Amino acid sequence: MKTFVIILFVFMCAAQWLVPAKMIYDSEGVVLNGTVYKFRTQPIDPSDPFRGKYITLSFSENHVEAEPGDKWYEGEEAYVTFTTDSAGFAIPASISRNPPASGPYLHTKTLYPDFQEGPVPIELPFDRFYLEESKASEAEKVYWEAQRDSAQVAYGVVRIGAGKAVLTDVMINDRSIVEVVKALNESPE
Amino acid sequence: MELPGTHRAAFLFLKNEYLPTPDISTTPATRMSKQILKELPELVRANVISEETAQRIADHYNAQPNPSTNRLLIVFSILGGLLVSMGLVLIVAHNWDELPKGIKLLVGLFPMLVAQAVCGYIVIKNIPSRAWREGCGVFLCFAIALSISIVGQVYNIEGNFGRFLMVWMLLTLPVVYVLRSPATAMLYIVGVTWYACEVGYFSYFSMGVLPWKYWPMLLLILPFCYTEFLLKGVKTNFYYFISWLFTLSITVCLGCFESNNDEVVVITYMSLFSAFVILSQMKMFETNRVLTNAFLVVGSLGIMGLLLMLSFDWYWDELASLSTEGVKLYFALSIEFYFAMIFTVLAATLLVLLLRRKPMAEVNLKVFAFLLFIALFVLGKESPVAAQLSVNLVVLVFAIYTIRDGALKNHLGILNYGLLIITALIICRFFDTDFSFVVRGLLFIGVGAGFFAANLYMIRKRKQSA
Repeated sequence: MKTFVIILFVFMCAAQWLVPAKMIYDSEGVVLNGTVYKFRTQPIDPSDPFRGKYITLSFSENHVEAEPGDKWYEGEEAYVTFTTDSAGFAIPASISRNPPASGPYLHTKTLYPDFQEGPVPIELPFDRFYLEESKASEAEKVYWEAQRDSAQVAYGVVRIGAGKAVLTDVMINDRSIVEVVKALNESPE
Repeated sequence: MELPGTHRAAFLFLKNEYLPTPDISTTPATRMSKQILKELPELVRANVISEETAQRIADHYNAQPNPSTNRLLIVFSILGGLLVSMGLVLIVAHNWDELPKGIKLLVGLFPMLVAQAVCGYIVIKNIPSRAWREGCGVFLCFAIALSISIVGQVYNIEGNFGRFLMVWMLLTLPVVYVLRSPATAMLYIVGVTWYACEVGYFSYFSMGVLPWKYWPMLLLILPFCYTEFLLKGVKTNFYYFISWLFTLSITVCLGCFESNNDEVVVITYMSLFSAFVILSQMKMFETNRVLTNAFLVVGSLGIMGLLLMLSFDWYWDELASLSTEGVKLYFALSIEFYFAMIFTVLAATLLVLLLRRKPMAEVNLKVFAFLLFIALFVLGKESPVAAQLSVNLVVLVFAIYTIRDGALKNHLGILNYGLLIITALIICRFFDTDFSFVVRGLLFIGVGAGFFAANLYMIRKRKQSA
């Protein structure tokens, strides 16, 4: 009986390490080898009971044109590729039910299409950026300041690999939001 | 020579007052043994037992471990484990921007390493201390959540909260078996319930997605409950807590699998509650007090609540409005129908098993509620009024049965529960009948008098038997 418990214990420890290890391995792979895209965004400030404060990003480019006659329904698994516009921001380029043979792509799901044809809404699974709790609401203020000033641009820096994506930073006018908030806190009132 | 009663009492009094108290060294243990140990000198003085026997009794109790101290230690170790681990979760959730990624990951994963090391020590050294096992189990459970969360936080993984709960609980499950920790089992049941509610009720994005994995995950804890409590026949406080959590979990989560066929869901719930009452009647699940038998309380309250709800006309009118063809299609296609089938078959099987072991007269009448309801369901399709009237009658019969049961068992709680059922029935009818105010008033006075008379009767009976 004791041997069985020890074996179970070993398997238990292995499984408990395997889950975070796999998550780290997958994410690091994307961070190291993924292609960088910039997604135009609007953050807001909620929080997560386990992971703390974060800003939620709402992306404007979250629809993709499907091939003519290709009907998509809600909740379907999809493979989406991206390209960039003239300003260098990411826009979804194509959607298919099979992964493309080469190049970076995102494995995601379709949301609620209004019509069965036309642009298909897709889920962009990198809309959370975790921040130190004291900075999250400050970051939101900075963002809204940026919104009032139309010359300022907010975007998320996302690395996309083979199916997976990792949000590495949120930028306001090409400066990390973490740095912007830090500078604000350090500067005299 | 036998002394007359009064002389003997006087003799014992004098002996107790003036003879020296025998010197018996005691260190009281439980409340009961404390009482016995307190009586020992008196018993020696009254020549009921010899000093030697008294000393042997005292030695026996002194040799026993002190369960109340143990219990306190277990409670504190669970609380300690909970507070420390939740504190760590909060500290990590602060998200220290200044720390580099690697350090953040190390800090987040370190508690799991510590918890596993302690767990390994307990397993290899085979330490029986419940306090250690419970505290370590609870701590490891939260350390797992912490390890997944820190990676999610560092890499800004959006994740899906339902899936996170599922992975967390699946990784917690072996902890329950390795440490044989009921406190961790309780956390597991809560976590599995949270997962089902998150997917089935709360999450906007998982609308239409059913938490199927809830059932196998819940079933995976049953072998532990069986081997830890039922097989040994030991029903500790942990057993009571787990049985409460288990029954409430199923009651809450069954609703996740309902989309829009309310009519059929009532059959499922009625069968579930009947199954609970049937289980409560089995020797294996019997407990000394009513409140510690979660199966009985949840089952009985569930049945009566449902029946009171069904005593209104809306359910029957809705049922009658469905065309026969519509009902057939409903039945053939809906998940609710399959659930109703499964739970009804389960309740029927349990009922057969129960009736094989217990005579009909000893069985709680509510075990038949699901069969009665199926008959009423069929009747309701043809004649809603007859079905509604029958439900009222069934509630009345159950109430009278409960009052009788309370009187027979000399249990004021059960007796008043029966009276409360009648009161609830009258209150329900207060709103939807055409009875005049006088009749309604008289009914309430009648039930009030009934409460008074029944309680008075019971108290007098108790006094007489005392």
